[in-house]
Amino acid sequence: MKKKIASLLLAGAMVVSLTACGTGGSGSTAQTGDKKGDGGAKATNELTVWCWDPAFNLYAMKEAEKVYQKDHPDFKLNVVETPWKDIQTKLTTAATSGNLESLPDIMLLQDNAFQKNVISYPDAFQDITGSGVDFSKFAKAKTAYSVVEGKNYGVPFDNGSVVGCYRTDILKEAGYTVDDFKDITWSQYQEMGEKILAKTGKPLLSCQAGESDLIMMMLQSAGGSLFDKDGKPDMVGNATLKKVMETYASLVKSGVLIEVNDWDQYVGTLTNSTVGGTINGCWIMASIQTAEDQSGNWAITNMPKLEGVEGATNYSNNGGSSWAVTSASKNPELAYDFLSKTFAGSTELYETILPKSGAMATYLPVAESKVYGEPQKFFGDKPVYSMITDFASKVPSNNTGVYYYEARDAVATAITKVVAGSDIDAEIKNAEDTVNFAMGK
Amino acid sequence: MVNSNKKRSVGQKQSMAGWAFLTPAVLLIGVMSFLPMIQALFLSFQTGIGNKMKWTGVTNYIRMFKDPVFMQALKNNFIYLVIQVPIMLILALILASLLNHKDLRFKGLFRTAIFLPCATSLVSYAVIFRSLFAVDGLVNNILIKLGFLNTGYNFLGHPDSARIVIILALIWRWTGYNMVFYLSGLQNIEYSVYEAAKIDGASPIQSFFRITVPLLRPTILLTAIMSTNGTLQLFDESVNLTNGGPANATITMSHYIYNVSFKYVPNFGYAASMSYLILFLVAFLAFVQLKVGDKRD
Repeated sequence: MKKKIASLLLAGAMVVSLTACGTGGSGSTAQTGDKKGDGGAKATNELTVWCWDPAFNLYAMKEAEKVYQKDHPDFKLNVVETPWKDIQTKLTTAATSGNLESLPDIMLLQDNAFQKNVISYPDAFQDITGSGVDFSKFAKAKTAYSVVEGKNYGVPFDNGSVVGCYRTDILKEAGYTVDDFKDITWSQYQEMGEKILAKTGKPLLSCQAGESDLIMMMLQSAGGSLFDKDGKPDMVGNATLKKVMETYASLVKSGVLIEVNDWDQYVGTLTNSTVGGTINGCWIMASIQTAEDQSGNWAITNMPKLEGVEGATNYSNNGGSSWAVTSASKNPELAYDFLSKTFAGSTELYETILPKSGAMATYLPVAESKVYGEPQKFFGDKPVYSMITDFASKVPSNNTGVYYYEARDAVATAITKVVAGSDIDAEIKNAEDTVNFAMGK
Repeated sequence: MVNSNKKRSVGQKQSMAGWAFLTPAVLLIGVMSFLPMIQALFLSFQTGIGNKMKWTGVTNYIRMFKDPVFMQALKNNFIYLVIQVPIMLILALILASLLNHKDLRFKGLFRTAIFLPCATSLVSYAVIFRSLFAVDGLVNNILIKLGFLNTGYNFLGHPDSARIVIILALIWRWTGYNMVFYLSGLQNIEYSVYEAAKIDGASPIQSFFRITVPLLRPTILLTAIMSTNGTLQLFDESVNLTNGGPANATITMSHYIYNVSFKYVPNFGYAASMSYLILFLVAFLAFVQLKVGDKRD
């Protein structure tokens, strides 16, 4: 009898662990992706694509397929959901083992990782400068992410212009409106945030500890970078960076900014009304809109700007991605034609994907489209998308550099220590040393 | 063929058959495991971005001792090793001898329950621990309800508490696994030995230290080496539970190797040399443990 109970329990444990694997999701989808991705597209009218967000870029790709199918009825697109980290790992594995055939025809790359990958694995990507894609129809600062040594390697996709999102109902409790947060500085932001915290008990802002998104947004809003034009680290003596760190530390100390440990908790603070707002790339609006009960209670405006820093603005950028054609593609001509007729040539496509996914395009002709000017009920009946297009045109450009991720992590380490009480100058020095060390291969 | 077979002795034939059975496995292990290891060794003497590598000698091995992040990771690994492994093994030993008791009811149930954590996936248990110890997680809620805290404590936001959470998670996940080894070891100890000790007036604690522990020595040695090995290669907990944070306070060597290979500008030569350091450490510690633990003459 005892044995039976034990074996039953063991069987139960196996079932539990099996379902645990199943709900892991990303793992299993990645595996099927492997199989499908093998050998790229076999048929001449088929392309394989890797991208990661079902509600966003994956959806956009599927709509692009429909647009292209109108003129090419036998065209088939095989879109494989592959999380960004997996794309990066697979790309690295394929390129270093020389097994490029395992890559798809087209893959989506984070703008911040684009240069690093093209420089590390030049053989893996097609130079698409003369492929028929009209790059002049994209914002120049955006195309710059995918240009290496004067050659274009990517078709720009989404835009990560920073928006300040606020809960109008929470602001109201403290006697504020969203207009009070337009064109302000960070100290005004903190002052109002403290009053809101005192009245409602809610912080105004949350962010992920150990990630430097907010730092990078603040830095770029004043045109600052962690690297100079020659790609050398520029942290020690970088007045903008110091101001950013002071501002961040002060926000945390005042309680206006709370740090959470992971992305789910961060989104949770927004959808569970833990905080009164957020500041992030405009793609965050897709996550905000999952809280349907808060419809009409959100509003957007620009972000606060740094004080006493030359070139400070209320605009910045966080994230964004571009499509790359791999050298594994058996049919690069089809890939070029597909991209130039959809993501680089169809306003209709962008008009379809915008209302559903909030995918803000960097394709310039679409900015005048009517769809962009339509008021959005969720965001207090404001034409938020044309507002964001306006923000996007004012974002100062920055240098990402090849060692962008090293620098980001070094700065994240520094800010964690500064918040815990370390000296800012010493930590900035440490961060620069870390990056210099990583670069001294 | 027939002729040549006849010339061989029975012993030779048997050893031929033995080799025939071994060959596929040996070939597979050689190609899948030893070949990459040798390639990695060559790689560890090269440097460069992506697949543009050139020879550099031992610079990678010197470089890692100047790398503050790697040194921090090494230190973290040893903190886990020194604190977690003894606690876990002692706990497993105690549980095993409790559950080996002859008169205990529902033995199977308890054994399974303690072994169960080990059947969960590494990623999911790490994610569950992360949400348990979140600022608004279960642990904080309980502590607030019981009056120990006023507001949630950010366990994963402070270096010491984050390490403690990782150690707790490891103990939860692996104690049952080691207990099973001890339980199987205990089956080889005759119950009459305990009975004789009892008749001679030994207390349960005395018979634990004088009979159980010495007779289990080989098993204890085995689990100690396996746990040392596992702790030095720790990866999932660092990535999924704390993401190496706060400020690299919980990052492990394997996690850093992953970052160097896949997250940062890839430097596989350096990553391979760090992996070889781990190999060296594991081999060295296993050697020491064997010397100290194996009392056979």
